[in-house]
Amino acid sequence: MSTRVALLQGTLDLLILRTLLFGQQHGQGIARAIQQESEDVLLVEHGALYPALQRLEAKGWITAKWGVSSNNRKARFYTLTPRGRKQLAAESSQWRALAAAIGRILGSNEGSS
Amino acid sequence: MIRRRKLQDFSTELRSHLAMEADRLREEGFDEVEARRQAHLNLGNLMQQEERFYESSRWAWLDQLRQDLRYSIRQLRNAPAFTLTAALTLAIGIGATTAIFTLIHAVLLKSLPVVRPEQLYTIGDAKRIGVFSGMEGDWDVVSHDLYKYLRDHTDGFYELAAFQADPRRIGVRRSGDAHVAESRIAEYVSGNYFLTFGVHAFAGRAIDADDDRPGAAPVAMITYRSWQERYALDPSVLGATFNMNGAAVTIVGVMPPGYFGDGLRSNPPDFWLPLAIEPVVNHAGWVNNPDLHWLYMMGRVKPDADVKTMGAQMQTGLRQWLNGRSGILGPTAAAQIPRQTLHLSRGGSGIGAMRATYSAGLQLLMAISGFVLLIVCANLANLMLVRGLGRRKQTSISLALGAARSRLVRQALTESIVLALIGGAGGVAIAFAGTRTLLSAVFAGANYVPISPTPDLAVLGFAFAISLLTGLVFGVAPAWTANRADPLDALRGSGRVTQHVGSLPQRTLVVMQAALSLVLMAAAGLLTQSLRNLEHQELGFRTGGRVDVRIDPNLAGYKIDQLEPLYRRIKERLARLPAVESVSYSLYGPMSGSSWTTDVSIDGQPPPAVDGQNSTAWNRVGPDYFETIGTRILRGRTILESDIATTHHVAVVNEAFARRFFPKEDPLGKHFGARAKFSKSFEIVGIAEDAKYRQPDQPVFPMYFIPRSQVTPYDEAGTMAFEARSLYANDVVLRFAARAGAMEEPIRRAFAEIDPNLTVIRIQTFDTQVESQLSQETLIVRLTSLFGLTALLLASIGLYGVTSYSVARRSKEIGIRVALGADRKSVVGMVLRNAYLLVAIGLALGIPIALAMARIMGARLYGISWYNPAILAGSGIILAACALAATIAPARRAAALDPMQTLRGD
Repeated sequence: MSTRVALLQGTLDLLILRTLLFGQQHGQGIARAIQQESEDVLLVEHGALYPALQRLEAKGWITAKWGVSSNNRKARFYTLTPRGRKQLAAESSQWRALAAAIGRILGSNEGSS
Repeated sequence: MIRRRKLQDFSTELRSHLAMEADRLREEGFDEVEARRQAHLNLGNLMQQEERFYESSRWAWLDQLRQDLRYSIRQLRNAPAFTLTAALTLAIGIGATTAIFTLIHAVLLKSLPVVRPEQLYTIGDAKRIGVFSGMEGDWDVVSHDLYKYLRDHTDGFYELAAFQADPRRIGVRRSGDAHVAESRIAEYVSGNYFLTFGVHAFAGRAIDADDDRPGAAPVAMITYRSWQERYALDPSVLGATFNMNGAAVTIVGVMPPGYFGDGLRSNPPDFWLPLAIEPVVNHAGWVNNPDLHWLYMMGRVKPDADVKTMGAQMQTGLRQWLNGRSGILGPTAAAQIPRQTLHLSRGGSGIGAMRATYSAGLQLLMAISGFVLLIVCANLANLMLVRGLGRRKQTSISLALGAARSRLVRQALTESIVLALIGGAGGVAIAFAGTRTLLSAVFAGANYVPISPTPDLAVLGFAFAISLLTGLVFGVAPAWTANRADPLDALRGSGRVTQHVGSLPQRTLVVMQAALSLVLMAAAGLLTQSLRNLEHQELGFRTGGRVDVRIDPNLAGYKIDQLEPLYRRIKERLARLPAVESVSYSLYGPMSGSSWTTDVSIDGQPPPAVDGQNSTAWNRVGPDYFETIGTRILRGRTILESDIATTHHVAVVNEAFARRFFPKEDPLGKHFGARAKFSKSFEIVGIAEDAKYRQPDQPVFPMYFIPRSQVTPYDEAGTMAFEARSLYANDVVLRFAARAGAMEEPIRRAFAEIDPNLTVIRIQTFDTQVESQLSQETLIVRLTSLFGLTALLLASIGLYGVTSYSVARRSKEIGIRVALGADRKSVVGMVLRNAYLLVAIGLALGIPIALAMARIMGARLYGISWYNPAILAGSGIILAACALAATIAPARRAAALDPMQTLRGD
C-alpha cells in the first residue's frame, strides 16, 4: 500500500475519460479499472470520484444512465460522448507533452541516486 | 444543457457503489463486516459527499434564495412597525420625487416635438397674452404689419413665423351636421409657420404660404386629437367643409399625433388657420390693423448666424417701423420710441405661457422634492442601522455556530432588497397617482393638458435606484462589520457605547427635519387662513344662484347695428326660463377672467401726465345689471333701459373711483372721459358699491360702468377699434330664484332658439368663477400642506430611527442604571429628554426661519398678518406631539429592558 501515489490535481478527469474509452462503466468499476491498470500504483479516492463524474457530466463529456451491473446490482453507467472523446485526445497529448518535459528534467538526476 | 440530478439519485448511486465495493472486498477475502467498513472508509463521509453534491448544484443557490426570501419576509412580518415605516419612507420618497419631477420636466425642460428645436428663437418673454395697442416697452406681441416688416428686414433666419398669442374659441360645425356649432380653440398662423417648425402633416397637407394670401380659399388644419376624439379618425374630414363662425373653411390636413402647438398650454388649439382668413372667421380684421399687436414670432436661425447681431438688427427694425407710424400714434407715444426694446430668446421649448406662470413655483417644488429624497435616504439608513444593531447578537451566534459569513451578508442583502421592492412598489403607485393628482391640481379647470400623466421613467428609475442603493448599503453594513468582528467579542458584548446618541450627522438631520416641518407647517397654516379669508370676504356682488354665460356675437357674424335687437331678445327670452328672476349682460362679468382698462381724464382736473397714472377699469352693462349680480347702488341711479345710443351719455362709478378722483367733492353730476380731448364724455349719475372684478386678493380698482350702446366718437383708429369691439357684450348674467339644479341645458336650448350660430362658449356659476380665480392659491395651499405633512411624517420617522438607534446602542448603560436603582419613569424621561433636545434645537432653528419666510410671504397673505404667534405655536405643538408619538415606543422599549439580561452580556 505504501507504493500507492495520490493522484495529481486534474489527472483524475483524464483517467476517467480514458477508462470510458473502452465502453460504459459504473463508478466503482472506473475506480477499480484505474487502480488495476496502473498496477495498483494510483490510488483513486472514492470520495473524489463521484464529484468528478458529476463535473464531467455537467460539462457534457460523459452521459449516464441507470443499468444493472455484472453481479446484478443497480448501478449508474457512464458513457463517453463525442465531445468527451475530443477532450480526451486533447488532454492526452497535453499530458504526454507535460510528462515528457518533466521526465527530461528529472531524467538527468536519475543516474546519480 | 444537462438537467441537474436530484440529490436522491446521487445518494442511490453512492449506495450502489458501497454495495459493489463491499462485494469486491468480500471476493478478496474480507469478512462481511470488514468489507462494509472498508468500503465506507474508502468512500469517506457519505453525508459530506451528499453535501458537496448539493452545494455544487444550481438548485442549491435557488433553494437558498428561496430560504432567504422566506426568512426575510418572516423577519419583516415580525417587525411590522419597522417594515411599515421603512416601506412608507421609501414609497413617499420615490413617489413624490417622481411625480414632481415629471411635472417639472414636462413644463420646464422638454423641447417642442419638432425638428431641431435648438435652432428656434422667439422674440420677447411672451408675457403679454391678448390683443394690445400702443407702446410695449420690451416687445413681445406684434401686429401683422410689424411682423412682415421685421421678417423682411432681418438676416439670419431660415424662416420667421408669426402666430396668435392668445388662441381663442370659435364656433365650429361640420357642414351637413345637424348639431349646433361647438366651441373650439383656433390659432391663426402665418403661411410659413409649419415650415419654420419643420412639422409635416400627418394626413393631407400643411398650411403653406399660398394659403396665407388675401383672397386665398379658406383652409384649416385639425389636430390629431380632435380628429380622433370628435370625428373618430374619419378620413372624409380631409377635404370636408367646416362652418367656422359662419365662414366655410376646408380642412386640408391633420397634424401629427403628439403635436400640441408652439407652446405648452392647457387647452391647446384644435384648429390652425392661416392669418389671411382671420377677417373672414374672426370678423375683426386684426390682420389689417397695423396698430393692433396680437402675434408672437418664432424663427429658425441659420447655424452660422449671430443671434446677438440679429437681436440688435430687429430692435433697430422695430424703432424704424414705429417711426414710420409716429404720425398716427401721436406725440406722447412718439416720444417713447427710443426707449422701445426687443430681444431674442431661445424658443426650443416653445412659447412659455405655462412656463412663465409656473416656473418659480415649480423650481421651489423641485428643490423641496430633492430635499425630500435626501431625507428619505438618510432616514432609511438610520432605520436599517438600528435594525442591524439589534441583530448583532443573533449574527454573532450564527457566526459562532459556523454559518458562512457570505451567507449572512447575502441574507441581509436579500432582506434589504425585499424591503426596497415593497417600498418601490408603493413608490410607483404614489408616482402614478401623484402625477395625475398634481396635473389636475395645477391645471384645474382645463379641458385638456398636453402633458402625459405617466411618470417619467428615467426619474422613477433614478429615485428607485438611489433608495435601493441606500437600503442595500445600510442594510448590509451591519452584517458586513459583524463579519469582520470576532464572534467572541460580539458575544461578550463589547462594542457598545454609553455616550453617543446617534452619530452627529444623524442628529443634525433630525434637527433639520424638525425645523423644516415647522417652517412648512407654519407656512401652510398662514396660507390656509389667508385662503379662507379670500373665500369668505365681501366681494361686492352675490354669488348664490348667479350664472355667467359667455357668448361672442362678433364670432357669430353680428354687425354693430344688429346688436341692440339681439340683446333685447336674449334678455326677454332668458327671463322666461323657469326660476329666473333677473337677466342682464355686460362686456365682462365679475371674476370672469376679462378686464378692460383705460386712462381717464376728469373734467376740470389736469389730464394724466404719465401713461397709466389714471388707470381705471371700465365696463359696459345692460339694464338691471347691478340688481342681477347683487351689487348695491349707494347713491344716484343705475343704468336703465332708457339709456340708449342716442340719449345723454351717463356712467355709474364705484366707490374706489369716487375716492380716487373726487376725494372731497360729490361725484354725482361730474363729467369725465377716456381721453383728455373727451373729458366731458360721461356724466356720473350713480355710485355703486365696490365689487371685485379681478384677483380676489387685490384691493378694488377704480371702475366705471357705461350703457352698452353709447359710443364715443374717438378720432384714433386703434382706440376706435377697441371701442367698436367693446359693444359686443360677452357675458350674459342670470339670477335664479333658488339653486336651480339643471340650468345649463335650458340656457343652451334658449340660445339655440335665439340663433343656432351663436355659440355658447361656457356656462359658469359665479361660485365657480370665484373658485377658479383662487385656483392658484388653492393649489399653493394644498401643496404646502402636503409637503408640511410629508416633512412632519419624515421628521417623526427620523426621530423614531435615531431614538431607537440610541436605545439599542445604550442598552447596557440603561441596564446598569436600572440595576443601580433608576426606575422606569426616569429611563423613559432620559430617552425622551434626548429626543426633545433635538426637537428643541429644531424649533429654535425653525422659528426664526418660519418668521422670515412668513415675512416674505406677507404680500401674498390676505387678511392675516405675517406675524401670527397662534399659528406658529400651533405648528410647534403639532411637531412636539408627533415627536412624542415617535419616541414613546423606543422609550418604553428602553424602560422594559431587563437589567439582568443586558448586564449578562446580551
